[in-house]
Amino acid sequence: MGVGKSCLLHQFTDKKFMADCPHTIGVEFGTRIIEVAGQKIKLQIWDTAGQERFRAVTRSYYRGAAGALMVYDITRRSTYNHLSSWLTDTRNLTNPSTVIFLIGNKSDLDAQRDVTYEEAKQFADENGLMFVEASAKTGQNVEEAFLETAKKIYQSIQDGRLDLNAAESGVQHKPASPGRPLAAPPAARDNCAC
Amino acid sequence: MNHDEIKSVVQEKFLSSERVTAFLCDAKVLHPDWVKKDRLLAIVEFGDEKAVFCLFTSCYPPKSFTDLSIEIVLPIDKSFKCEIDNKPSDPEAILYLNLQSRNNKYKFEIQMTPRVDNFVDDLFRGIEAVNNVPTQPEFVWLKKYHGRNDNDILTHTMVLPGGVPHTQSSAPVAIRESLIKHKMSDKEYEYTFTKRFTIFCGTWNVNDKSPVIPLKGWLSIDKEPPDIYAVGFQELDLSKETFLFDQTMREDEWYNAVINYVDKRAKYVKVEKVRLVGMMLIILIKEKHFSHVRNVVCDTVGTGIMGKMGNKGGVSIRFDLHSTSLCFVNSHLAAHVEEYERRNQDFRDICNRTRFIQPNQLPKGIKDHDHIYWLGDLNYRITELDPTTVKKLVNNNDFGPVLEWDQLKQQHKCNNVFAGYIEGDIMFKPTYKYDPGTDNWDSSEKNRAPAWCDRIFWKGDKIVQLAYRSHPSLNISDHKPVSAIFNSAIKIIDEEKYRKVYEEVIKQLDKMENELIPQVKVDRTEIDFGTVQYLELQVRTITITNIGKLPVEFEFIKKLDEASFCKEWLIVEPYKKCICAEETCEIQLKVLINKTSACKMNAGTDKLYDILVLHLYGGKDIFITINGTYQRSSFGCSIEVLVNLNMPIKEVPVGKLIELENKRDQCVSNQSTYSIPKEIWFLVDHIYLHGLKEPNLFEQPGFHSEILQIRDWLDNGSVDPIPGSIHSVAEALLLLLESTADPIIPYNLQSVCLRASANYLQCKQIVMELPEFRKNVFLYLCEFLQEALQHSAENGLDSKTLSTLFGAIFLRDNPNQIQEPQSRINKQVIDKKKAQFVYHFLVNDHSDLIFSR
Ligand SMILES: Nc1nc2c(ncn2[C@@H]2O[C@H](COP(=O)(O)OP(=O)(O)O)[C@@H](O)[C@H]2O)c(=O)[nH]1
Ligand SMILES: [Mg+2]
Repeated sequence: MGVGKSCLLHQFTDKKFMADCPHTIGVEFGTRIIEVAGQKIKLQIWDTAGQERFRAVTRSYYRGAAGALMVYDITRRSTYNHLSSWLTDTRNLTNPSTVIFLIGNKSDLDAQRDVTYEEAKQFADENGLMFVEASAKTGQNVEEAFLETAKKIYQSIQDGRLDLNAAESGVQHKPASPGRPLAAPPAARDNCAC
Repeated sequence: MNHDEIKSVVQEKFLSSERVTAFLCDAKVLHPDWVKKDRLLAIVEFGDEKAVFCLFTSCYPPKSFTDLSIEIVLPIDKSFKCEIDNKPSDPEAILYLNLQSRNNKYKFEIQMTPRVDNFVDDLFRGIEAVNNVPTQPEFVWLKKYHGRNDNDILTHTMVLPGGVPHTQSSAPVAIRESLIKHKMSDKEYEYTFTKRFTIFCGTWNVNDKSPVIPLKGWLSIDKEPPDIYAVGFQELDLSKETFLFDQTMREDEWYNAVINYVDKRAKYVKVEKVRLVGMMLIILIKEKHFSHVRNVVCDTVGTGIMGKMGNKGGVSIRFDLHSTSLCFVNSHLAAHVEEYERRNQDFRDICNRTRFIQPNQLPKGIKDHDHIYWLGDLNYRITELDPTTVKKLVNNNDFGPVLEWDQLKQQHKCNNVFAGYIEGDIMFKPTYKYDPGTDNWDSSEKNRAPAWCDRIFWKGDKIVQLAYRSHPSLNISDHKPVSAIFNSAIKIIDEEKYRKVYEEVIKQLDKMENELIPQVKVDRTEIDFGTVQYLELQVRTITITNIGKLPVEFEFIKKLDEASFCKEWLIVEPYKKCICAEETCEIQLKVLINKTSACKMNAGTDKLYDILVLHLYGGKDIFITINGTYQRSSFGCSIEVLVNLNMPIKEVPVGKLIELENKRDQCVSNQSTYSIPKEIWFLVDHIYLHGLKEPNLFEQPGFHSEILQIRDWLDNGSVDPIPGSIHSVAEALLLLLESTADPIIPYNLQSVCLRASANYLQCKQIVMELPEFRKNVFLYLCEFLQEALQHSAENGLDSKTLSTLFGAIFLRDNPNQIQEPQSRINKQVIDKKKAQFVYHFLVNDHSDLIFSR
């Protein structure tokens, strides 16, 4: 059973809960244009297969991500326990400036909770990750997680930590058409722990 | 297909008068999308003109011109630029070609091949040529390649249902913006409501007078104070200074007078004031509405002398009130009784020349507004009735018969002026011309008919005129002021509803965009080949169906740090292709374990497992997992392992085999079961017993199926005789020898052997020093071959043929060594030397070597 990465992506792009979301065998993506600080930004979000057997392959997709969302399932401790190894991969394969966001998904299943908020929050703080508990089912905090990630990426660009000119920054600048504001669409990637 | 064949296919894509002078097959477009797309680049010449074409090819190499579609056309004109960089990390192999033509920039990644030189030379020849001619070439022949909407262009510029061009990877934010705007205006009624505003419009030609009388009787006589005042004056100042320098004191005098005399029951603020010579327009609005006024812009147009001077013309102010755009025009049109045509022309000039310029927006004209109010001294007269009749009729308030002769009414009716505008019914006396200070008609000699020079028109939805009147008591001028009150519906956005609709629209667009991401269905993503045996080809098929709305280009792509997109034992056909919407493509996956892959399987360094990445351009990646169990075989084992197997290989546990393979260097004779592999012995012995006299021994091929049976016989162990014909057994022997993990003469000795090949003694010396079991196999086989040569009369063998055949087997080339491209001659020399080496052992008695053991 997946931790809900694809459902989170659907919730973000379509504002729908896809309860019977097919298993992700590969890497899918969704896009949405959002506004950060008055700028239109196109997010391209990659949703990777989380199964262990694909891990070697999905590694190729980390490169050049401007942001990463790591997801675990609050009702299954095993998914939480895997986080550190996913985090190691993410850190090793992305830029130091890549924004990493931790999501504890399925917060609607509070009764079956297996990982406390405090414990995960501490893990996130220790590792310098942003963190929320969210539910792809109710939509709670989903928007926030993606938007916060985008905001953080945007800030990194503003204060020059993220070099737009580096081929692997994961961010593309589009030349503005006459009289239009600039748009810098970053790509975020959705990694997994399951 | 060779280069020339491909070239002729590319040429077919063009007319015969358009000659393909150079092309490159493996260019990748980087910029502007930064998606590496494989493309073909061609330089095409027509007369003296050249252009670079970038073509998409649906299969590679293109088999017919229908496989090609033109994506980008870059004429080599004077604006054309070409810059070349090397890839910093790989300057020898990869080149970047930056092309720029007419402000379009493209970047291509190109593999360095000798062809690139030709291409680049041709390109620069083209650039040089175009810069050597004085005129810019016209490229008429390229017209047909531009702006095509057929399939050719589809892969490049996809088309949204709304007809908006859309490229997947470049974020079309600007296009999207306008699409949002468009959609939002379609749904305006869902999030707007209207509120009625009263608007006062007044116009007065003050005939060079100062405001010495109160204006209350004009500006403040209604029951309710209006929400907006639009007050226009003409002939504020007729002095030469004003006319020439456009400066006047009157501006402030009249402005202050208006401020003083507007309705005192409400508080007004200025929206804008604009003046050109004697024409002035003032807009005031109730203070409480002021925060909803946006984008205030004004403009003036002079239509006076030379069509420029400001003694005649129009001044205008536009602004947005809530969500309705309003435009007010105050104009003073050409004078002279007969010249209504001139006045019509002034009206058209004002319409055409008024431009409201706002930052970051297209300029707006008068007509680009929801509500337009046009007031002024329009100067149209009554010419067809005699002045006395007119005066008599209007003095009796019998306006109808006179208005029938009003030039403006007539011109308006014919749509020669104010087309689309409305004017209310005139129920007031003509406003011109009076003796100033009186209500008496002009008493000068001219004796003209009184006329309604001062008028108010409007245009727009949901505007109701409540009053249209003159104000005769204000008599300082030869004109009387006129005013109209309008009740106009102003659209107001319900923020709450607007947000909801906006989100809905955004969601729809996101959805549309996500739907345009290529979508395919793959019938299965896990392919199990079951048990796979040595040299037995297995085929599985997967079917890809394009379930999206656009053509999909797929390609199996390399994983991180891997040289190829699949393992060496796998063949994928086709590995890239374009599938049209709703069509399917079958992909064949073929597994073949041959000598190269078998030893890796035996040694456990590879297994029948792979994950393929099926990439959709502009879309997702699908992982295809390949699985199977390799049935280990004596083919592909090393000699050192085989001599230690005292049972058929099938009975050896997999782990044990891997262990043996990995320790094969430590294999020593006194611990080993056999001195040569039993499999070799079985095959040789069989030929020795049954086939030495077989005609064409070692020359006639065996049957594949029999070879597979022999393989199974060896691998499974059997008490039955070896199956198959002698030729099949002989071929199986050759295959077995060729497939051993290491060659019989180690790779590192090959060059020594070749150098020694002319010298039997040296060759003997080398053989003496071979690893023990290889030496055994070598000598055993040579002994056997000598035996076979004894029967050359029957089997037709000769020592030359045999030594060539076995030379290639004993002295195998190292597949892992990156080979210098061998010339054909060079290879022949090497093959000859290999044969020569073996030859010694086929014609000399070397039993001394055997006994030296
Ligand atoms: N109750 C609940 N179920 C969820 C939530 N998110 C996903 N699921 C379920 O979890 C399963 C796996 O979701 P999926 O998105 O496919 O996981 P993935 O493998 O990480 O992409 C599906 O059956 C979903 O219906 C959530 O927030 N709450
Ligand atoms: Mg998934």
